[in-house]
Parts: sequence; C-alpha cells; structure tokens
Amino acid sequence: MSRDKVGFGYVWYRLSNIPTAHCAFWIIMFICLIALLSGLHVPLSHYGYAQTTTDLLAAPSWEHPMGTDELGRDLFSRIVYGSQLSISIGVTTALIAFVIGTIYGAIAGFSGGKTDNILMRGVDIAYALPDLLVMILIGVLIGRGTYGILISLGLVSWMGTARLVRAQFLQLQHEEFVEAARAAGQSGLLIVWKHLLPNAMGPIIVALTFTVPSAILSESTLSFIGLGLSPPACSWGTLASDGWRSLRGHPHLILFPSFFIFLTVLSFNFLGDGLRDALDPRTRLFNYGKIVQDPEEPLENAAPALVAKE
Amino acid sequence: MLGLIIKRILLAIPVLWIVASITFMLVRIVPGGPFEGDKALPPEIVANLKAKYHLDKPVHEQYFLYMDRLVHGDLGLSYKYIGRTVNDILADAFPVSLQLGGAGLLLAICIGVPLGTIAAVRRGSGADFAAMFLSTAGISVPSFVIGALLIFTFGIWLKILPVALWESPRHLILPALTLAVSPAAYLARLTRASVLEILEKDWVRTARSKGLSTDKTVVKHVLRNALVPIATVLGPLTAILVTGSFVVEFMYAIPGMGRFFITAVGNRDYDLIMGTTLVFAVLLIVSNTIVDIVYVILDPRMQVT
Amino acid sequence: MNSKRKTIHHSLIAVLTLFAAVTLTSCNVAKHGAIPGTLRINVGTEPPGLDWQVETDSTSFDVVSNLMTGLTQYTPELTAAPACAKSWDVLDGGKTYVFHLRNDIYWTDGKKLVAKDFEYAWKRLLNPASGAQYAYFLYPIVNAFEYNSKKVTDPNLVGIKALDDFTFEVKLTKPAAYFIYLTAFCPCCPSRQDVIEKWGRRWTDPEHIITNGPFMLKHWEHEYKIVLEANPKYFEGRPKLDQINMFMVPEQATAFALYENDELDFVDNRSFSTPDVERCKDSPEYHNVPLLRNNYIGFNVTKPPFTDVRVRRAISKAIDRNVFPLILRRKERPTSSWIPKPLVGYSPTTGEQFDPEGAKKLLAEAGYPGGKGFPPMTMLYPNRDDVKTVVEELQDQMQKNLGISLGLQNQEWKVYLQTLHRDPPPLFRANWGADYPDPETFANLFTTFNGNNTTEWKDKKYDALVEQAGTEQNPEKRRKLYEQADHYLCNDQCVIAPTYLATQNAMVKPWVKGLKFNALDIQFYKEVSIEP
Repeated sequence: MSRDKVGFGYVWYRLSNIPTAHCAFWIIMFICLIALLSGLHVPLSHYGYAQTTTDLLAAPSWEHPMGTDELGRDLFSRIVYGSQLSISIGVTTALIAFVIGTIYGAIAGFSGGKTDNILMRGVDIAYALPDLLVMILIGVLIGRGTYGILISLGLVSWMGTARLVRAQFLQLQHEEFVEAARAAGQSGLLIVWKHLLPNAMGPIIVALTFTVPSAILSESTLSFIGLGLSPPACSWGTLASDGWRSLRGHPHLILFPSFFIFLTVLSFNFLGDGLRDALDPRTRLFNYGKIVQDPEEPLENAAPALVAKE
Repeated sequence: MLGLIIKRILLAIPVLWIVASITFMLVRIVPGGPFEGDKALPPEIVANLKAKYHLDKPVHEQYFLYMDRLVHGDLGLSYKYIGRTVNDILADAFPVSLQLGGAGLLLAICIGVPLGTIAAVRRGSGADFAAMFLSTAGISVPSFVIGALLIFTFGIWLKILPVALWESPRHLILPALTLAVSPAAYLARLTRASVLEILEKDWVRTARSKGLSTDKTVVKHVLRNALVPIATVLGPLTAILVTGSFVVEFMYAIPGMGRFFITAVGNRDYDLIMGTTLVFAVLLIVSNTIVDIVYVILDPRMQVT
Repeated sequence: MNSKRKTIHHSLIAVLTLFAAVTLTSCNVAKHGAIPGTLRINVGTEPPGLDWQVETDSTSFDVVSNLMTGLTQYTPELTAAPACAKSWDVLDGGKTYVFHLRNDIYWTDGKKLVAKDFEYAWKRLLNPASGAQYAYFLYPIVNAFEYNSKKVTDPNLVGIKALDDFTFEVKLTKPAAYFIYLTAFCPCCPSRQDVIEKWGRRWTDPEHIITNGPFMLKHWEHEYKIVLEANPKYFEGRPKLDQINMFMVPEQATAFALYENDELDFVDNRSFSTPDVERCKDSPEYHNVPLLRNNYIGFNVTKPPFTDVRVRRAISKAIDRNVFPLILRRKERPTSSWIPKPLVGYSPTTGEQFDPEGAKKLLAEAGYPGGKGFPPMTMLYPNRDDVKTVVEELQDQMQKNLGISLGLQNQEWKVYLQTLHRDPPPLFRANWGADYPDPETFANLFTTFNGNNTTEWKDKKYDALVEQAGTEQNPEKRRKLYEQADHYLCNDQCVIAPTYLATQNAMVKPWVKGLKFNALDIQFYKEVSIEP
C-alpha cells in the first residue's frame, strides 16, 4: 500500500514540492544557523554587546539597523544573540510536549475504559496545579539555566497534546480501517503506529507548532520569577517583554523582537502543514491550484474540486 | 450518559483532594512566606501573625485543619486582604472573570472556527494565506502588546472605545477581544487541520461525488466530525478563560480572578492560592466532563467512560 | 511566494503607519475632562486593608492619610504640626510627652474624639493579638516591647495613658528626638474600641467604619476602586472636594492612557512608565519630586572578598553614579551618602566619590591587580524593570573600571527577601524608603539589632554613634553625630555603596489646584480643588 512508502527521500520530495513549506524550511534552517553561530560566539555583528552612554535608545539607522536600547546596546546584536535561547527553547519544548503528550494520549486513547479515565484525571490534576508555583519551585530545585527553563516549560505544556491525541484516537478507533487492521490480527502497537497516529497528525502538528511561540514567550515570564536568564544574556521573549511599554516612544524595541518571533512561528506553521501533507500520501499536494504529481503513482481521476478551489 | 456524569462527579472528589493536597504542599515548599515583607519584622511580631493564621502549628496539623474547613465549604482567610474570607473574595471576583472569559470564549469560537473552516475549504487560496498570517500573528505577538495596540488604536487615537476600567458593557469589548486573539488563532489553525483531515476521508469524497454541494457537505458532515479536536481544546480553554487571564485583567484594570491569583502567589497568600486553584480545578473537571459528553453526541461510536 | 511576501510587506507598512500615527500624537493637553468637585486618581493596587493599626503598605496609607488625622500632621515641609493635639509638652529631658487634645473634634458618627481613643489605638498596635507589623515603632515606649513580645501581659504597665478626656501621656524609656514624627504616622491614629469590637474583622467596611479625617469612606469595590466623600464635620472645615475616586489600575501604560483621555486627574510613578516620563517631561503638567528613598549596593562583610574593606571601597569608588539619571530617565539624584539630602546629617562629601584610578589602586592593594584573581561574584537583585537596568549598568562598570566580571542573579520578590534575610549573598542591591522625615530611619538600618541589616555588619562604634544621635536633644550636636556615623558607614567601613535617590514623577491636570508633593510620598487631598 502507498502508506508504506514513508521514507525520507519520498517525504523530502513531496515537501520540496510545496513551495511554502520548502521556503519555510530554509528560513528555519537559516535562523537555526544564526542561533548556532551566535552560540559559538561567532561575531555576526560588529557592534557587539557594548554598552555606551552616548547612544541611548537610538532609532534604527545605518549604524544600528534596529536601533539601540536604554543602555545603548545594539538591538540587532541582541536579537541575533537572543535567537540562540529562543529557538532552542521553542523547538525543545515543543518536542518534549510532543513526545510526552503523544505517548500519554496514545496510551489513554488506545486503551480506553478505566485506563483512559485514570490517565485523563491525571491530566486534569496536572492542568489544575498552578503553573507559576510549579515553575518557582523548579527554579529553586534545579536552579537557573537552560535545563530549568526546559523542564518547567515542558512540564506545563504536554497536557494539551495528550488530550488531543487521546480524543483523536477515541474517534478513530471505530473507523473501518482500524477495525480491519484489528480483525487482521495486527498488534496494538502496529495499529497505533501505522493507522491511528498518521490519521491524527493534523491537529497534533498544530498543537506542536503552537507550542513554539508560547514557549518562546513564556520564557520571559520565567525570567520574571527568577528562573530565566541572567543579564546581560537575553532572548526574544525578554526583549519583547522589556520593550513593550516603549511602544509609543521607541517602537523599534518591541517591533523587531516580535517580528522575528512572528517569522519563526510562521515558518514553523508552513513547515508543519507541509510535513503533515508530505507524511500522508493520501493527501494530494497543491501548488497554487495545480496538482503535484506523485512520482510513483499516477494521479487518481477524481477532481479535487472541494479542496483545491481557486 | 447519566452514568457518565455520576461517575465523573464521584471521581471529581479524589481529583480535587489530590489537587488540594499537592497545592497545599507546593505553597509551603516554595520559598518566601506570607509575612516576608519589604521591611523585616521583629520575630515577636512574626510569631503573633503566624499564631493568628495557625501557621505556627506543624504542617500536618495545618493540613487537617484546612481539609476540615474545606469539607465544610470554608476556603479560609486571606492573609493579604485582611478581614476578608477567600469565599468572599472569590464570590466578588469570579462573576467578573466569568463575564469577561465568556465573552472572550464566544468571540474566539466565532472568529476561529469559521476562519479555520474557510481556510480549509479554500485551501491554498488567498483566504487561506490571510487566515494563516492572522493566526500566526495572533499567537506570536504577546497579548500585552496586542492589548496595548488595541488601547492606543481604539481608546486614544480613534477615541471610540473606553481605554480601560469596568463600568459599562462597552468596557467589555477591548478586553474580550484581547483575550480572544490567541485562542481564536489556535482554534482557527486547529479547525483547518481537522477539517482537512476529514475532507480527505473516503466518505466525504463519496458524498461529494454523489452531487452534494460543497457548502452543504462541509456544514452537514465535515464540521460535525471535525469538531472533536475543537471540543477537546475547548475543555481546558473554557476553564482557563472563565477563571480570568491576569494579563488582560491587569492591562484593563478589571477586578477579576486572574488578578487575585497572581497577587496571591506574589504575596504567598496560601489560602487564596488554594481557593483560586480549587475553583479552577472544579471548572476544569466540569468542562472536561462536558467535552466528553459532547464527544458522544458528535460521534456516538466514541466510548467515553 | 509572491503573495506571501506581499502580505508581509503590506502588514508591515500598516503596522508602521499605525505606530507613526500613534507616536505623533505625543503628550497632548486636553481641556474639558474635569468633573467638578471630583478628583480621580490611581492608587495602582488594592490596599490590603484599611485597618490603620495593622496595615503596612503605602497604598493603604494613601487612603488612610485622607480618612484619619493623628495627634500631629505633616506640613508640606515635613515638620510635625498640631492636629488632634493642639499642643504638647516634652518633660523629663525628652522622656515624657504630654499631648493636649482639641475638644472640638468629632468622629463621623457624632461622638467626640477623646484621649481614650488614642490610648486604645496605641495599645491595640502593641497588642500581640493584633499582629500589627508596625508595633515596633512604639518600642521606645516604656514596656512596649515587653508587652508586644508577651513578656508583660498587663497592658496597663505600658507607658501610654489617657490622663483625662483631652490629655494623653506617653512615657519613653530614653529620649528619642524623632518620636514626635511617629505621632503623625497612620498606625498611630486613634481608633474606636466600640466600633472595632462590634464589627470584628469587618469594621473597615464602608458601612461600619468611623473616622475623624477630612474624608469618609463611601464605597469600596475590591481590586477596582475606592470612593471617598467629603466629611462635612471635619474640624478644619469641610474639604473643597466632594469626592475622590481612587482607581486601582495596576498597569502603568493603561493608567497613563486613562490620564491622557481625561479619565484621571492626577497620576504618579504608579501610573507613569519611563517611556511616558520621557515623552511628557516638557509638559507643563509634569512634576518631579525627590523622595527619601535611597538605593544601595550592599556587601555581606562576612563573605570574602568583602571582608576586606579595601575591596568594598574599591567597588564603591568604581561606580559612576552620574549615569543613573541617564539610563533610568526619571531624574534620579545620584548620591554617595546614606543619609539623603534634606535630612540632618547629610553631607555632600560623605561616601566614596567616583575615582576609577583610586579604585584600581585599592583593588591592587587588596591583592587583585586589574581584577586578576578576583573570585567569581554574583550580585543578587529583585526582579523589577528599573533594577535590571541598574544592575546591568553596574556589571558593565565593574568590568570597565575594575576588570571584575560580575554575574547577576535575579529572584522573584519574596524569594529575594527571604534570601536577604536568611543568608545574604556577598553582593546585593536593595533600597530603603523613609518611614518618617528623620535621619534615624536611615541610620538605624545598619545597627547590629536591626532586622533589616542584611550586611551582617555588627559594629559597636556605629551602634553607639546612632544611639547617641537618637537620644541627643541638641540639634547641632545631633547633626554632627549623624554626619560622623554616616561617614563611618560609607567611607571608613564602606559597608554599603549608596547609588541614587528615587524621585516621584507626576502629571497633574491644569484644573487640579492645591496639590502639594512631599518627599515621604504621602498625598493629602484636603486642600485640593477642581477648577475647570
């Protein structure tokens, strides 16, 4: 069956035929590269992080393309530097939430009955505990630094994914193809992996991509409760939350960090959508209304009027 | 269905008990106490204060005292708002958050679900891209920036809506909008993804090939089946919105529960933290139970226990 | 691709236009927003309560200061002027105070104010059962400490007594030059035993509370607003305002937007973010008032390398204090002394002056030439916007001026307080606001027994100097003693490095008349009127 063809090359081929996803992929790669280089202390901007008392809160100019902050530091350099933490936090938290949430939700949704009920009450409890206190406590136990941030953000963001996966599984359990697989004596794990998970992927990917911005932004809350970064280190989240009151006087302080968060999240959204389509061979791909021909399979004759209008 | 509801009510008791117990321990483990002030107090005075609120007793005794009161519906005394019981505070604040959160939730659904459906049906079109941009902006711009932009635009610049405060129904518009932006964005993306999944299903293609019109198919068959993930996120979302968002309540000076909760955490107002957490937990359990019932209505084959 | 780029482009242009439009409408002066007889202000947060013996925070005092009048009251110049007491005698070389009360003051329920109301209130402040935090204010009184700490159980042994209806006597254990200021302080305002006993914890509700000041509590919507109403029977005459609406708008930007839209008549620091201060500092509505609130860098003198006074002095010398007003942008006043400017004991030469060369030399003498070998050091600070800017600046200055690389650690407010009080780190940032306009409130902080002395510095010489200054009755001698103590603290021992004094930044609508500011940051509205 066509579903067995999920190989890297195949997915990549399909992905590169979705221009938005393809473009998003390279934008993400580029941002990751910048983050990596700044992490390795490669000087990407000759302004560096020097403080001055002469160029405070300068507007964007040729000298400082994104302006300077209240201590005279070049905002462009700060954003480059901040990408390191923000990108790694966004991606890692999303992955943690994805792994924990999917496994947890899959167990609950696939088992059903008592197991499901107990596991879901567990999710209720995890949801109900005040995040803020949990984070303060983690900050005290683990101490500051990247691990503390990752653990606390991961711990408070997996529940949504778990609930989504469980609901999808409960619904899909009774689809014909699952029943058929069951009747054919396929093992539970195989059914989950081959039939349930691929069909539940759409909402899961949305949840995954939405964890990225919320993690990037929540990181600034963490530094508020003393768990985040130590100055002068910065991240996009802290830049945005430090700068927003200057919205009227010095809009560049909030505009640029927000824009980069936006760009990153947008790219993840497009990539996520593209990945979902690329992973699921049933989906025909649409490149501005033109149907992308699958390399190995002749196109079915059914006209995709419903999905590819305009 | 009735069995499900009764079962959930019975299960709610141990869940609430666990939440209460963990939170009880949590507030006491977290460093900083309610009487740790700007200016340090002589130990004599701290001892007096602790005695007044039974904080001088061993933790297990405090726990039994608290649980005993809780069983009788007494959520305790606030340390910060002197002379007020937690019950009083929540009775004042919850209705405010309920109105605001209800309005925000309604807006989020009314914006998010249609936007997502259109984006899915007109996949790849300009409308789809516009929806994608809007929802991405909605989730990646922090809500305080969105709030500030709305205040400046409609309050100061155009002067057509009140800047803040909680006086008339008109004062509800901007905060509810601010509150709705990010859930609406999330719902839009989720609806789109979920509708697309369903559109790919064989039976939809069949329905279509039998000559049913697009709009009719979408409304009648697709949306109904696509609603499961939406209902799923609406469960916790309802509880979160209705118990108040502290950013929006701070921003617009609205006396809701979110504000009380954050202030309580900052002040280590133990009983008030416990009270707000328990109210949230109850709402969460109720809305998640409703969601499970909705599953059965949407798709009678789903087996929820 | 194309359409995506275009959309980005369009939305960017739209956003930029919006910003431009909003930015250009800078500080505009509106004309017609006044409500005659009503003052609308922002107190920022909910006062935790209005029980003036129990409360400790500035918001509660903002309200109580306008509801109640004590034995004395502050003039705008911060001297204690007669109020409920028309005069007082200081006897026994400063150890006994006898207050003579006016006989024409009535509570809002028509009852006459008597000395018993003061006796009850002060004993209530000291009663351990009240759990009042400011009880320690009255510790100079005979047996006050003993009663509050349950060593004495009989309240009659405390040196507080109503001799008759209009005479109130207080006996101190030793003379205290600053004692008279305490009588103007909110927790020392009189209280009504019958009211408090009748209503219990709810006596401060608008329907129960009985007050004697210029305004009465009319309405209280929690976490939203408090409404005060003029007291027609106020003994100095009915105030000019009919009503004060005190809103609780926690977000500065929002509160300032309300001011701009004429929905508030007066805003201060609580509603005035730094970008807004910058935008409006040339407006005729703008006011800047220096406050008695000093910010300092503290050293834990028991933790190396700060056990060495040369290291402490080097750091204090390496701080360029003139930068603070530039980066904080609220017209802060740099200071090198601990006792701030208008108070007796202040001297401009006290404290280490900025001298990077001298600082380097001292550091080299201590064994760290050019910062070499200096142990890794982390400075603790609480998480607040302006504090972060300050410590980042200090971090930079230490690197530039001494070659020391300083780590920074922020903590959530309560955690920070706990750390400071239990195990003070080697280096921390803190501040202190005056409780009353006397150097004692500052000097006392670093004495051995002060619970807020987090430097772990215990010095008998300093204790003796401060004690002597506190009991000294001759003003000139007293000034010299405080000067000496301050020099010892900031130069000789260099236990702290004071940095700058905070300021109050306010905007007042042109129709608000008679509003006066003071350095203690307490607002009195009895003289204010609205004249559109």
